[in-house]
Amino acid sequence: MRRLLLTAAATVAAVTLSACGTTEPAADDAKKTAEPITLTDATGAKVELDGPAAKVVGTEWNAVENLVSLGVDPIGVSDVKGYKTWDTAVPLKNEPKDIGTRGEPSMDTVASLKPDLIVATTDLPEAAVKQLRKVAPVLTLRPADAADPIGQMTKNLDLIAQATGTTQQADKLKKQFEAKLAEGAKALADAGLAGTKYAFADGYVVSNQVSIRPYTSGSLIGGVNEKLGLKNAWTVKGDESYGLAATDVEGLTKLGDVQFAYIGSEGDKSSTPFTGVLAKDKVWTSLPFVKNGNVHRLPDGIWMFGGPESMNKYIDAVVAALTK
Amino acid sequence: MAVTATTPATRPSAATSRTGAAAVTAALILLVAALAVVDITQGTAAVGAPEVWKALTGRAEPADASVVIASRLPRMTAGLLVGAALGIAGAALQAVSRNVLASPDTLAVNAGSYFALGLTAVTGLSLPLFASSGIAFVGGLAAAAVVLGLSGLGTGTVRLVLAGSALTLGLTAVTEGLLLLFPRQTEGLYQWNQGSIAQNGFDGVLQMAPIALVGVVGLLLLARRIDALALGDDAARGLGVPVRATRVTAVVLAALLSAAAVTLAGPVGFVGLCAPAIVRPLVRRFRGFTRTRVSLPAAGLTGAALVLGSDVLLRAVVAADVAVGVPTGVVTSLVGAVFLIVMATRARDTAEAAASERLRIRSRTVFLTTTSVLVLVLVGVTIASVLLGDSKLLLGDVLNWAQGRAGRTITFVLDTRVPRVLAALFAGAALALAGTLVQAVTRNPLAEPAVLGISGGAALGAVLLVTTVPLAGGWGLSAAAFAGAAISSVIVFGLAARGGFQQNRLVLVGFGVAIGASALISLLIILTDPFNATKALTWLSGSTYGRSLTDVLPLVAVLVVGVAVAAMRLTELDLVSLDEDTPRLLGLSLGRGRLGFLVLSVLLSATAVAAAGTIGFVGLVAPHAARALVGRQHARVVPVAVLLGAILVCTADLVGRTVIAPTQLGAGLMTAVIGTPYFLHLLIRSRR
Repeated sequence: MRRLLLTAAATVAAVTLSACGTTEPAADDAKKTAEPITLTDATGAKVELDGPAAKVVGTEWNAVENLVSLGVDPIGVSDVKGYKTWDTAVPLKNEPKDIGTRGEPSMDTVASLKPDLIVATTDLPEAAVKQLRKVAPVLTLRPADAADPIGQMTKNLDLIAQATGTTQQADKLKKQFEAKLAEGAKALADAGLAGTKYAFADGYVVSNQVSIRPYTSGSLIGGVNEKLGLKNAWTVKGDESYGLAATDVEGLTKLGDVQFAYIGSEGDKSSTPFTGVLAKDKVWTSLPFVKNGNVHRLPDGIWMFGGPESMNKYIDAVVAALTK
Repeated sequence: MAVTATTPATRPSAATSRTGAAAVTAALILLVAALAVVDITQGTAAVGAPEVWKALTGRAEPADASVVIASRLPRMTAGLLVGAALGIAGAALQAVSRNVLASPDTLAVNAGSYFALGLTAVTGLSLPLFASSGIAFVGGLAAAAVVLGLSGLGTGTVRLVLAGSALTLGLTAVTEGLLLLFPRQTEGLYQWNQGSIAQNGFDGVLQMAPIALVGVVGLLLLARRIDALALGDDAARGLGVPVRATRVTAVVLAALLSAAAVTLAGPVGFVGLCAPAIVRPLVRRFRGFTRTRVSLPAAGLTGAALVLGSDVLLRAVVAADVAVGVPTGVVTSLVGAVFLIVMATRARDTAEAAASERLRIRSRTVFLTTTSVLVLVLVGVTIASVLLGDSKLLLGDVLNWAQGRAGRTITFVLDTRVPRVLAALFAGAALALAGTLVQAVTRNPLAEPAVLGISGGAALGAVLLVTTVPLAGGWGLSAAAFAGAAISSVIVFGLAARGGFQQNRLVLVGFGVAIGASALISLLIILTDPFNATKALTWLSGSTYGRSLTDVLPLVAVLVVGVAVAAMRLTELDLVSLDEDTPRLLGLSLGRGRLGFLVLSVLLSATAVAAAGTIGFVGLVAPHAARALVGRQHARVVPVAVLLGAILVCTADLVGRTVIAPTQLGAGLMTAVIGTPYFLHLLIRSRR
């Protein structure tokens, strides 16, 4: 034991001595270039930028999607592999650095990227946000608001656009989205589908047990559905932010005869119970909408908590599925 | 105790006892049937009693009928099957080990299965239910083999359970590490780990029923031999019963039963412990139950009643849509934790002799060398911790930073990294000191804040505050953690004090509180923040993520006080840890001193938890290693233990932060990986 300790101490001393020097020159003074920008984020904090941010890090995928849509390729993204699995609607155009998990992004990696701006959400612990503020200005978004899901989405898009100097692109995206909504609503109305009872969900299977997440009217998808003139069939209460609830297969019997749609991902085996374990489930197969063939799997890669581009793809997918 | 009931003074005639047993069994069947009927009327669909009745008589709407047939009935059957399998497995394990505390949970069978399934999930293999049950069986059996092998079959009532509970903690830590590392592959596994009997159709039940049947039939065939074991090994051998073979067969069959239950519903906690415990009073009343062939089915029925009862209760108390998210196992774990505690306070502790460490007298030079080497290592580890991370720094960077002339990036990296390093260092030191104090006061070599449930109580307090006041700061968190720790330690020490702090009883009561606290934390997080499993795991596994200097401040303050008090009271510590009588002979009253030391250690653990989450086993490993290095004198043990604790947690944190960067692992995970084998090693050594 003692010899071990001595060896350890010697090694440590050696490492310590050889590790002198610096990896960064002392005190670099930043040069100011463009017009300064001042914003107020979702937490009420003032975010001050020297100019439009170009080197941006996103800790949540909705922020990342908005950045890519606005033409700002983020230099750091949480769980890059997961993003590529779940959000192919707005693919990454560059190879951003992986900054770790969405729940605990690595401070070191973020700092080493020397970003001008970090876009975070209130899902990140307050303590972590406080630390990130020392790396760069942090724009903290409220990721979703069940009271006004679409409003929150555009609010976030606008905030990011202001911080990155891409408000023109944001306006374009919003107009496209409005147009898409109108176009989708018209297509559905023309097909006589206005007011159709419709339920969107995703589901997970673990060890033969299926849990289903209903997207209530408070969810972003639910908000879009209502603008499309569809009637949300879920009666369960969702959470305050994402408008998500929880139920099981039995809970689906309360839906009655509706149009049912879901999104899963081939890259995530546990996310496709509807074509998997439920195919043989008697409760599932005797549901009126299953019997009538009104179950629609929408294309993979539309991020249900994303921005206008994901929602555009979603609208196309719903309209295509229902008017088929 | 186990199945050997003491002979009643007046022996009832065989005939009445048999009718008595039959009557009790009939009553149990009725109870289970009643619960089963209530259970099928509950659920998320609008299918209540009238619809169920119609469905059963074939007059219902097809939709209602399918809910009853494909959802309600399978769930009810799964509840029956899981409860019965666990109850019987527990009863069999208790009989062959002659240990009232043996069960699939306390022998790490469930944890082994969970670990095996977690490992499979991580590899991304999507297996059919049957295959995953095989994997669960192998995992459960392997864990049971390790526990039984370590503690010796049938020796030491409580040591067996200690070994099992420790292995459970270790394996669970590793599995939770996997969950953190592979969040998508293991999505839902955390919740599943709490155990839920929901089913989709009869497939699962039908596949597991034959396996369970093999287990039950096998055990019933073995019943006569198990009865013989109750007479004692020698007597059994005298009757021509192969003792070893019987034990091994029974354990394998019990593992098979638990694996079937685990695969079907996840580990529904503590049914295997509670069911036989409820049956035991009956054994005393009705002699018909003394025979294993009768008592096993009774335990099975009781298990079924427990599982169905928990399911019914949960759905009766909270709305069906909320109940979907609350696994049945959380409820049974809470009930089970109470049972474990109650039984531990009653269990006879045969291993009273303390695991006295070989007392080698160490010279002063040894102490001085050890201390200086440790100080060197500590400095080295601290420097390495500061330099290493996702971005590697050099010493010059740190110098620049210290003088306030470092660049922005370096400044930031160090601004965030240094508090984490400090949190790890001080948490390690505080837990080591707390462990040293607790071990001295209780004279218990297995005692430490996490094992005794003090850390669990602290985490519960902290999580309560975090979920109700999201913006709570360092001092508030420490206060809440202290309140939780204080309550749990009052429970643990209060209960263990009855009958004078017996060695292992204290630890078992502590384990019970720790399990209850973690079930409550799970429940809290499921109810308040269902989509955030990472939050739960971070709290339960210990992490320094996002710590700032203000979070560490309370810890530093308490640690300074703690070290100062310990330094002033070294002689008192030596005396307290010696034995009960010496201080008394010297005319010292130690009651107040003891209480003071305990309060101090509770404070230390609570602030450590508030700063870095639940980190287990440091308080165990550090004082032991210190005593092994420098002898028993507290003047030497305290500084060495504190240094070791700081080094251990800091290293664990460093490894967790760097090995799989940018993804990170909690420090508690690594310490559990080191600490569990150490705990088991201590247990084996104390057998000699």
